[in-house]
Amino acid sequence: MRTHEGKWALTILFIVLLAYVLPYTVFTNIEKWYGSFLLWIILTVIVIIITYFFTKDWGNEE
Amino acid sequence: MSTTLVWWAIAIYIIIALFIAYLSRSGKQTNMTSYFLGDRNLGGFVSALSYSATTYSAFMLVGLAGLTYNGGVGALGFELVYLMGVSLVAFFGPRFWKVGKKFGYVTPSEMLGSRYESKLVSIVVALFSCLFLIPYSAVQLSGVGYLLQGVTNNKISFTTGVIIATILAIVFSYIAGIRSVAWTDSLQAIFMIISATVVVIVLVNGLGGFGGFFHTIETEQPEALTVPGNGFWSFVNFLGMTIPWFFFSLSNPQVSQRLYMPSSLKSMRHMLMGFMIFGLVYTIVAIIWGFSASIMFPNLENADLATPMVLQSDLVPPILGVIVMVGIMAAAVSTIDSILLTLSSLFARDVYGNLSKNASDRKQLQIGKIVIPIIAILAYFFALLEVNLIAVLSVASSAGLLVVVPAIIGTFFWKRGTAAGVLTSVIVSGLIVIIIELTQTKPFGLASGIWGILLSTFLFVVVSLCTKQPEKVAEDFFS
Repeated sequence: MRTHEGKWALTILFIVLLAYVLPYTVFTNIEKWYGSFLLWIILTVIVIIITYFFTKDWGNEE
Repeated sequence: MSTTLVWWAIAIYIIIALFIAYLSRSGKQTNMTSYFLGDRNLGGFVSALSYSATTYSAFMLVGLAGLTYNGGVGALGFELVYLMGVSLVAFFGPRFWKVGKKFGYVTPSEMLGSRYESKLVSIVVALFSCLFLIPYSAVQLSGVGYLLQGVTNNKISFTTGVIIATILAIVFSYIAGIRSVAWTDSLQAIFMIISATVVVIVLVNGLGGFGGFFHTIETEQPEALTVPGNGFWSFVNFLGMTIPWFFFSLSNPQVSQRLYMPSSLKSMRHMLMGFMIFGLVYTIVAIIWGFSASIMFPNLENADLATPMVLQSDLVPPILGVIVMVGIMAAAVSTIDSILLTLSSLFARDVYGNLSKNASDRKQLQIGKIVIPIIAILAYFFALLEVNLIAVLSVASSAGLLVVVPAIIGTFFWKRGTAAGVLTSVIVSGLIVIIIELTQTKPFGLASGIWGILLSTFLFVVVSLCTKQPEKVAEDFFS
């Protein structure tokens, strides 16, 4: 269970790192809306999708 | 903007919100869990909206739009890194929820005290939260003050705006505790996002549609679409601003306390997913808002004025402008009332509850209710100090709360953590953050939040290793 959880966490961490690195390197000279603007939005959407699947089994237990 | 129209809009908002707050009263709110946690029985939909309203404040359409105005797209990265950080709830949420239910915790600091077997831990963490969150509330109050002053050309004074927001926050939290807060929050969240989105669509259309809008930015201020851009978002600055916000969902008790409230894990999931989608939309709206201001009014001296200027511009019909203005006010009030409620629960449960010998649950609730207006008035006076750049102070508060994060992670993931480790890390690093903020220095170019997290992690680990770990920590924390 723990390692399973760790994989999800590492994936999210990796995306967050991309959100720090890419805009300051690859995208630093792309002065267009499809540069850092779009990149950050896409990375966030990916994190939201990962979170969606990770929490899929949370049940009705009260 | 016509002052009469502004007053009418505020009056209508207050009447509707009070009505919702009144309707939210259900059952007898005679104990701490009922008043502050809604009997741990909140549904997913209300939880999501209330979490959104609590998190997103006047900062979004005033401060974040101002940051976009000043430095460009880096503001989007800053806010979305925060949003990605909310995925921490997926890992910590069920843990908070389960131990909260099993051991009856009302506050996150109570949980820390119990886990590390030290009442002092609860007291210190609670006091530090108050120390940093009262300024944070004050920033929200002054946000309302600036806004009303700005859109009415000083006809409604800064102080009047601050007083209105203070009174509303007290009333919303007083009527039925978390229930009135959650329900008014929900109403305000829907109002905030719909009104702001409509205006942004109107703005983008008025500025040439999506293509024309971005074309103008690409030709007139191309650096605004990159980082570091004009230099405002240097990497070190970006790091210093984002790190405290990345951990916001854990470090700030007004949101981490929410993890005790959902009726089931399924409700918590709805809260989390609903919030993340709300956050993404609202963030994009606030950023486009800031860009619109920089297209329409490129030479403002104070970025905090960008939003009032946009609201009064010819592109925005006055009625719509007033509606959004109320939406921003609602965003501020819905944040302050949640903080008020959380801080009063921290004081009643962790400070009073641990220091007084006969602090029954009922007595704690009485104290909590007395403390609500006292904290509000403190924030009111802080707001009157009229600070300049709203975003900077707001970040300073979250930098201060960041020092609790290692202890929270240790609660569930590191058995070896000790009370001495928590106390040293929170007190020493908290004071260092305060000193750095007060002197406005950046040792080695790094912001206070980065020093806070580095130092608190180091102290928590080292001091814990040098001291004896609690003898029997409940396994529930680690399962």
